[in-house]
Amino acid sequence: MDGGRLGVSGAGSVLQTLGARLGLAALLSGLTAVLLVVLSGHDPVAAVQALAAGAFGTRSLIGAGLDRSTPYLLAGVGVALCFRAGIINIGAEGQIAVGGLGATAAALGAPVGSPVAAITLALIAGALAGAAWSGLAALLHLVRGVHEVLATLLLNFVALLLVQLLLAGPLGQAGAGFLQSPRFPPSARLPRLPLLDVHLGFPLAVLAAAGGTVLLWRTRLGFGLRVLGASRSAARYAGFRPPVLTMLVMLLAGALAGLAGAIEILGLHRRLVEGFSNGFGFRAVTVALLGLLEPVLVVPAALFVGFMEAGALSMQREVGVPTAMVTVLEGLTVLYVLAATSRRGLR
Amino acid sequence: MTPMLQMRGIVRRFGAVTALDAVDLDVCAGQIVGLLGENGSGKSTLMRILFGMLRPDAGGIVFKGGELSGHTPAQAMRAGLGMIHQHFTLVEAMTVLENVMLGWPRAGRVLRRREISRMIVETGARYGLEVDPGARVRDLPLGRRQRVEILKAILRGADLLILDEPTSNLAPAEVDGLLGVLRRLRQDGTGIVLISHKLPEVLAVCDDVVVLRAGRVVARLPVAAATRQSLAAAMLGPGMAGAAVKAGRGTVGAVRLSVRDLRGGPPGGMVLGGVSFEIRAGEVLGVAGVDGNGQIELVDSLAGLQRPAAGRITLDGRDITFASVTARLRAGLAYSPADRAQTGLVRGMSIADNLALRQDRRTPRRRGLLARQAERLIREYDIRAPGPQAVAATLSGGNQQKIVLAREIERAPGILIAHQPTWGLDPGAAGFVLQQVARLRSAGAAILYVASDLEEVLSVSDHVAVLFEGRIAGIAPRAEARMDQLGLWMAGGSA
Amino acid sequence: MDLLASAIRIGTPLLLAALGGLLSERAGVFAVGLEGMMLAGAFAGLFGAWATGSAAVGLLCAMLGGGVIGVLVAVVAVRSRADNMVTGLSANIVALGATGMLLRLLSQRGGASGGEAMHWVPLAAWSPPGLGRLPVLGPLFVQPPLTWLGLGGCVALTWFLRHSAIGLTLRAAGESPAAALAAGADPRRVRERAVVAGAMVAGLGGAVLSLQQVGSFTEGMTGGRGYLALAALIVGRWTPFGAALACLMFGGAEALELHLEAAGVGINPYLLQMTPYLAALTVLVLVGPSAQMPAAIGRSYANDETR
Repeated sequence: MDGGRLGVSGAGSVLQTLGARLGLAALLSGLTAVLLVVLSGHDPVAAVQALAAGAFGTRSLIGAGLDRSTPYLLAGVGVALCFRAGIINIGAEGQIAVGGLGATAAALGAPVGSPVAAITLALIAGALAGAAWSGLAALLHLVRGVHEVLATLLLNFVALLLVQLLLAGPLGQAGAGFLQSPRFPPSARLPRLPLLDVHLGFPLAVLAAAGGTVLLWRTRLGFGLRVLGASRSAARYAGFRPPVLTMLVMLLAGALAGLAGAIEILGLHRRLVEGFSNGFGFRAVTVALLGLLEPVLVVPAALFVGFMEAGALSMQREVGVPTAMVTVLEGLTVLYVLAATSRRGLR
Repeated sequence: MTPMLQMRGIVRRFGAVTALDAVDLDVCAGQIVGLLGENGSGKSTLMRILFGMLRPDAGGIVFKGGELSGHTPAQAMRAGLGMIHQHFTLVEAMTVLENVMLGWPRAGRVLRRREISRMIVETGARYGLEVDPGARVRDLPLGRRQRVEILKAILRGADLLILDEPTSNLAPAEVDGLLGVLRRLRQDGTGIVLISHKLPEVLAVCDDVVVLRAGRVVARLPVAAATRQSLAAAMLGPGMAGAAVKAGRGTVGAVRLSVRDLRGGPPGGMVLGGVSFEIRAGEVLGVAGVDGNGQIELVDSLAGLQRPAAGRITLDGRDITFASVTARLRAGLAYSPADRAQTGLVRGMSIADNLALRQDRRTPRRRGLLARQAERLIREYDIRAPGPQAVAATLSGGNQQKIVLAREIERAPGILIAHQPTWGLDPGAAGFVLQQVARLRSAGAAILYVASDLEEVLSVSDHVAVLFEGRIAGIAPRAEARMDQLGLWMAGGSA
Repeated sequence: MDLLASAIRIGTPLLLAALGGLLSERAGVFAVGLEGMMLAGAFAGLFGAWATGSAAVGLLCAMLGGGVIGVLVAVVAVRSRADNMVTGLSANIVALGATGMLLRLLSQRGGASGGEAMHWVPLAAWSPPGLGRLPVLGPLFVQPPLTWLGLGGCVALTWFLRHSAIGLTLRAAGESPAAALAAGADPRRVRERAVVAGAMVAGLGGAVLSLQQVGSFTEGMTGGRGYLALAALIVGRWTPFGAALACLMFGGAEALELHLEAAGVGINPYLLQMTPYLAALTVLVLVGPSAQMPAAIGRSYANDETR
């Protein structure tokens, strides 16, 4: 996973080969997309037109695409940091869900008049809840040796059911017919930016990505994470404590995912709804890998996935290509990128 | 008689390096040929080509009258070749029986467990290779595992057996047993290639000797015509024989490192059973012994990578028994681990990052600073690399080791722990390592030098200790150390 | 007894998937892709049976469907040596998207029939002659055919791993690819084949859901069962009967949930749905790390030098 593990020959030639391989992966993805549209019996040109119109057609559509990219970006940055340290955290989905839960509890439970205070409180509550969830997975891994993939995966299911459980109980809106919470008070809604028609979460996410890159490349902690990802014994030799690093990066990733969950419901749904985080966990992994585990590069990756999905809805409506096609494409693209960046791929 | 094996004009290049330059080798049935040479002389490469693990760039192989080319290890085995690798290729979680059956058509599609088990016992008894078929390899000592490897090859009907440094992991008594097995195999008409750089055993068992140096055959003679001196001279080249480190000796000072009754080790590994010694300033303590007798546990406990169960380690009078790696670094402890690939270096990172790997966390990590420091060390330690941003994995083993040493010695440590620091290096790079150790000693550091090659340990040390089963079997000043005494200690005889 | 019988029935898809995963993991490749293999098997199995009217053809299609995902994992994780975990996860997403897309296309073509595009009468239960009528124990033996297949698979796989030459090579590839190579096997090919074979078995596990339990297909109908199967395989210490026991336990948790619900006991349904996952986590925490884990699992092996 670690970028450092990729290099075999000289640094320059590695970059060139990597670039070529990624180009090939992108080309393959494009071809796959066309193939999928054709196989489902539709005109690829019309499909692309509908997709583009759905993604970028109007200012508010662009805003919607940015909104959609935000949680992927935040959680993806956390996943990228974990992967760099060699920790396969695929629990973003659960961490996002629990983050939404935390934000809801704060927004509904602690009525604060001032919007700044209310929103800050709710965002912090979401981040803390997400960190607690990932911290739990890290604890199971560190103390009892449960593989982190299984710990995070199984906790995803528990988290989703926990949201439903609480929506059916104390957090739910009685008699709504759906599993959802009451609407948040106006003070706890994330403001939208006037210029781009996007909620405040998006600039926050971009800041987080920039922060992630600084952390990774300019701090001793980031150096430790990269060494740990390359070799655990080298990390110990260098004086780092792998369990501490593991816990720290998991807490950080959980906080980012929790923040994503909080932003998603405070900025978009304005109430907690069942299944709001469905599929977000894998998208976080997707954008992290598409961004080559480089936090700032996760920004374009998240935008790409976000706008693709936004456009896919109109593609299904206008042309009839199922939205699930985008899911297939995401999965295959990650596989292409994995194959392109794997050790053998760079020989 | 036509030789059973004829290798002619074998050439193999790795990049710009010519590892083998037109090498010929003949082996007859019932003959033991010793293949001698320093590390990196090309003997392993030659045998890997014979066994189909590498392709030659030129040259041909005739075995039992048939041409061998483009073959895989599986085809080599079917043709009647057997190879005993230096690092055993056994599945540790499986039993001896399962390891023998693995990949052997004779064992049947539905495994004939009982029949093969009987064959193991019978063949084992015949050649002095007794081993319990039901034992798990994980539970066997290294000498036993080697028996399994040899049995595997014999049972598969190997007519020619290649043994790559078969004695490097064995105690002297086990070595004698192995040589007996080889003599019995020779009687039965098996051809044997014995790769080694240890002269006594080659002289004891071989019929012919071939010496490789830098990829060329420099000597080929019957063993009766060879002497230790002539072979050593051929291996090392003109003027190199007997070269030892003769650096100016500083004065021996106060005790810097003291280890008292150190015990412990990871569960399942070789446990340290109470190790005590001390090293004074300006002194090198060499630790010899067969690998796997607690060397890793000892150095890791000293370096802070493993928590001792009991005992006391003091460095310049300060107790560091349970101090963290960072605290030890600050106390002036340097460590060059045997495992360069995974521990001593981060192979995928740049030279600059690797040189800063163990930098104190209180020193700022600024890019310009790191780059300048790297440029200086690359110059001072003569690290051959395109520049500080070059990836460590792209360098040769010698240059990788120079990075480790540069980083550790640069801090002017009070004590250096060096574990197999010349392992896998060519003579030039190994000489550089020994020089640096000597220089550090003159500067008043205490040095613990752990290696499996007895002669190497002797050449660098002021005192020599032998580690056996997690204890120090004996310790002696170099001047008084006698080879036969050290050999006895290595085999478990007490002082 | 009723509870145990339904635990066995509910545990069947997990068991078949776990057996498939066992093949893959014993050969040294993490089986995170089980979820996708099951899902593809569930879809393809139902499609085959529905289109031809034959359960046998359905099962064959289920194996093919799982196998396609297996090929995907084998190519990326074994041949290209990418991270096993992320590869498996991505393969799951491909399966989720592909089955969802095909389902939608089928229902578009079938006109207004909507989600009920395909259907099948669930396979009937069967028992060995006589055993089904035993007192007390009788209901245990009345089980649908794929459940019997799963139990037979346990026996067969145990024998295969211990007594066949291929099984021995497969284990060697998972424990020490270098040793397998030295013994003349090609560990990479062994792993590829094990992954694909395992995927076909896991595909059958998916078919249990669509052909034996429900009779139709809904998007993402495996609902995390592949991950539970993975947990069962680990809890069962990478042995077929150990995995079977673990599946029985997870199946029992779900059976209990259904029984309580049917009995109208007032326990929160969401809490009950959580129980298999919590049970899996609890057992994983209790058993801790294991020495039985194949030593070289997840580690790619470079045998380029020979090619």
